[in-house]
Amino acid sequence: MKRRLFVASSLGALGLAGCSSRLKDSLTNGPFHNVLTSVEGLNHKVIGTRGMARLYTEADVAREFRVNGNDPPADSTYTGLAKDGWSRYKLVVTGLVDHPQALTLAALRALPLQTQITRHDCVEGWSVVGKWRGVRLADVLALAAPTAAARYAIFSCYDADDGGAHYYESLDLAQAAHPQTLLALDLNDAALDTAHGAPVRLRIPTQLGYKSAKWVYRIELAATFAGAGGGKGGYWEDQGYEWYAGI
Amino acid sequence: MRLALTGKRVYRHSIAARFSHWLWTLAMLVLVMSGLQIFNAAPYLDASDQNNPARRVLSIGARQASGAAQHPAGVTQFFGHTFTTTGVLGYTDDGQGSRAERAFPGWATLPGEQDLADGRRWHLFFGWCLSLAIVVYLVAGAIRKDLRELILRPSDLPKLLPMQLYYLRLRKEPPPHGTYNPLQKAAYTGVLFVFIPLIILTGLALSPGVDALAGPLTALFGGRQFARLWHFALMTLLIGYFITHMVLVFATGPWNNIRSMVTGWYTLGEHDGVGP
Repeated sequence: MKRRLFVASSLGALGLAGCSSRLKDSLTNGPFHNVLTSVEGLNHKVIGTRGMARLYTEADVAREFRVNGNDPPADSTYTGLAKDGWSRYKLVVTGLVDHPQALTLAALRALPLQTQITRHDCVEGWSVVGKWRGVRLADVLALAAPTAAARYAIFSCYDADDGGAHYYESLDLAQAAHPQTLLALDLNDAALDTAHGAPVRLRIPTQLGYKSAKWVYRIELAATFAGAGGGKGGYWEDQGYEWYAGI
Repeated sequence: MRLALTGKRVYRHSIAARFSHWLWTLAMLVLVMSGLQIFNAAPYLDASDQNNPARRVLSIGARQASGAAQHPAGVTQFFGHTFTTTGVLGYTDDGQGSRAERAFPGWATLPGEQDLADGRRWHLFFGWCLSLAIVVYLVAGAIRKDLRELILRPSDLPKLLPMQLYYLRLRKEPPPHGTYNPLQKAAYTGVLFVFIPLIILTGLALSPGVDALAGPLTALFGGRQFARLWHFALMTLLIGYFITHMVLVFATGPWNNIRSMVTGWYTLGEHDGVGP
């Protein structure tokens, strides 16, 4: 009796562990998916964007900053701007703002520059420490003066995947106003290279790496991000990743 | 060691204890499988803050096919030792009926195929379930004073060895004890007060938002990658605990044990005491 029970329950446990992909898929994609995703708001409330990311020293900077994500933009707009040494590049700040901006790199570098040595944490699990220099996103948004209706900053990027979907990201204004949220211009004491997001990328050390969009050309202030891209607030968010990426 | 039952029934597990027991059983199963899914996205563990191959403890990968080999080989490295693990680790079931370069096989992960986004959704949801279960268990146990019966006390320490000898059949009688024997108390105290809290804390510590909010926590575990290593190591310990728990549940009267965790009522064996 005991042995039969043991064998039966062992088989049951194995069956559960190895349960068919069909069952696992139907649980993952079915109505239960909404239950699973419901904790994202809870995580956002509990963890939020409080506190400051740890600051490292020069000795901690990794010799090579790992490159991940899309290949660099291949379209002629981007490559043309790069060929001219970014002299014609302008970062546009638009949408729900009182003073729309079109900022050259020189105009950006004229703002107060912050240097931060912080750890980049990828959603895949790896980490790398780099030395970033750039302008605080809060300072750039202040120039544009978001209206009272603005709730999100949406970042448009030059890069696209093989299917043609453009990268984009979004932050709420609290995340955008965090003093360590930068529009980075330099990495490890040199102007950003193409692979790391030249000429301007987002750098938000309090969230996972996919929020730190590369190759940014436009920031739109909006009341909602539902109208951008696939409607979930970012390129990876449209593929099922959390919009709140603090955990 | 079949225990003679005395026939005396006691109400041993409160409704809160039974609810939280089964909730964390489900949560642990989902967390392990979705955790392996997440591990697969970066199948290596470093004893460091940022990644540092010089401090690599475990890595699971594939070696490309060459020469006569038709397919890649699964390769696992653990503390510098290399093992060929084709079919088990590194080059395994891809969850869709064939093989691929994947650390943990599809049958062990949730979802079965490689899908980090959904693996994270499962993991973060059931992380909350596990936390809820442990809080319900500890609060209810403290209120009902059930916890007193299973917390290991200094007076239990001299009884640990005699109890182990009894399990090994090197001793005829177990040392006298209350509701739970000293080894059970050691295991339950360790799991409830050390391992489960630590696995929750190490999981939180490897999140950038939590690191910003509670930096000393991440630093305590040696940094983000080290927290990831502890998180994984604690999982293997808890799997070890689970296997031991199953063996003992089945060795000491499975019906009585399982029924007591469903209905609350437990039939006492000849050596079972009641009380702390």
